[in-house]
Amino acid sequence: MTRVAARGVLLPLGVFIGLLVVWEALVPLLRIQQIVLPRPSGVAATMVETAGPIAFHAWYTLLTTLIGFASAVALGLLLGFAIGASAMCNEALYPLLVGFNSIPKAAVVPLLVMWFGIGMIPAVLTAFLLAFFPVAVNVAVGIATIEAELRDVLRALGATRWQLFKKVGVPRTMPLFFASLKVAISQAFVGSVISETIASNAGIGYLMAVAASDFNTRLAFSGLFVLAFMGVLLYGFFAAIERRFTAWAYAD
Amino acid sequence: MATQPEAMIALHGAGFEYVTNGRRFRAVEQISLAVPRGACVAFVGPSGCGKSTLLKLISGLVRATEGTVQVDGRPVVAPLKIVGMAFQNPSLLPWRTVLGNVLLPLEVLKENGDARAADRQANHERALALLEKVGLAGVEHKQPRELSGGMRQRVSLCRALVHEPELMLLDEPFAALDAFTREEMWEFHQTLRQLRTFTAVLVTHDLREAVFLAETIYVMSSNPGRIAHRHAVTQPFPRTLEHLYGHEATELIRIMREQIRSGQGSSA
Repeated sequence: MTRVAARGVLLPLGVFIGLLVVWEALVPLLRIQQIVLPRPSGVAATMVETAGPIAFHAWYTLLTTLIGFASAVALGLLLGFAIGASAMCNEALYPLLVGFNSIPKAAVVPLLVMWFGIGMIPAVLTAFLLAFFPVAVNVAVGIATIEAELRDVLRALGATRWQLFKKVGVPRTMPLFFASLKVAISQAFVGSVISETIASNAGIGYLMAVAASDFNTRLAFSGLFVLAFMGVLLYGFFAAIERRFTAWAYAD
Repeated sequence: MATQPEAMIALHGAGFEYVTNGRRFRAVEQISLAVPRGACVAFVGPSGCGKSTLLKLISGLVRATEGTVQVDGRPVVAPLKIVGMAFQNPSLLPWRTVLGNVLLPLEVLKENGDARAADRQANHERALALLEKVGLAGVEHKQPRELSGGMRQRVSLCRALVHEPELMLLDEPFAALDAFTREEMWEFHQTLRQLRTFTAVLVTHDLREAVFLAETIYVMSSNPGRIAHRHAVTQPFPRTLEHLYGHEATELIRIMREQIRSGQGSSA
């Protein structure tokens, strides 16, 4: 690891640990009750004690998120290609997409539960609904903004629309597509946890909702830390993929 | 004129009109000219005189709304497949290497079943040979961003030439380069034409460039774009930069400058 990369990891990690230390010290100092705000050491102890159930729920949330994310990427790509390549699709679909995206997705969860019952399906669908929009919009922009001159160069060779799409549209859209994956995975994660919190019988969201109703603040915080950790991990994974596949877009 | 057998390009009363926001605009009108096979002609004129539209008419990227456009003796009704194009912006594909960019036209032709580009190995050799001829040997595996502006423009010209088009359409191809590089590119363009004959149509703002490269120069007036004047440059090829300081060139440049100025004023 280079020195710059090491700094990029160590610096934020140091700040994080510093904050934990301050938190640990302040709770007894200000005489805050454990039920309101537990000390980090207490949260850590709970995490170790309930490692088994936490791992189960974390796995469940991860699975839900990934299924929702994968279907969002598939549909987002298709929609993005259609909207970007066809002016008619753009005019017909884009306003609907924007309108749909402006609905707070938490409001849709009760409907999903009504239709599909409590379980994984509403959570997958919520993740999907939150995640497909950024993918579709980014892909559409990439396809629709091919330089006019490049288009002329290719058309003057007798290239078909399909060839233009394949040779120029798709590759030039890849950086935007991979950038949108980072956003989409975070959105899918938010979606599945929201849905689990509202109506589910498994997942970290469910775990936290149950912990909160039991006034088990330590367990609720354990869930929170696990969520943060998973969120960073997922984001980092897709950020790494982005850099790996679209290095040409990041000129030094 | 349009039936001259030796004319590569023949326009007869050609014009182009388009509609934007319900209003009709005339980009060019009453264009009549004939370009002999293997010649290089230049169009100069004020901004908005329809020079680029003229190139699109010739290449078939847009269809004339009046008059006729013929290339190689046939009326132009669809984008031609014998054309190479280069623009002010080299518009290379940043995710492809230099070689990959030059190969692009051959790939498209091959996929469309063109016999000229059927053999992959031959295509590679042809692209590499062309790059070598233009002084870009050894950079074929570099990314476009690693090259200088002049080198990128040379790659762009190679891409326009690699499928050996009979017609080259150049839309201010050197405008974004610095003065010295631009002059190098003029000489470079001349070298290319000595390597293989092709008909070239150049659109430019630079009168010296037109005088250096073309044997016929059309001065256009704007709103709508028309051919206002036609000049022949008699100096034989190959030309040197000295040619630009000779009597013929300086006088021609002076006259054209005045014509362009008055052409701008006369627009209704």
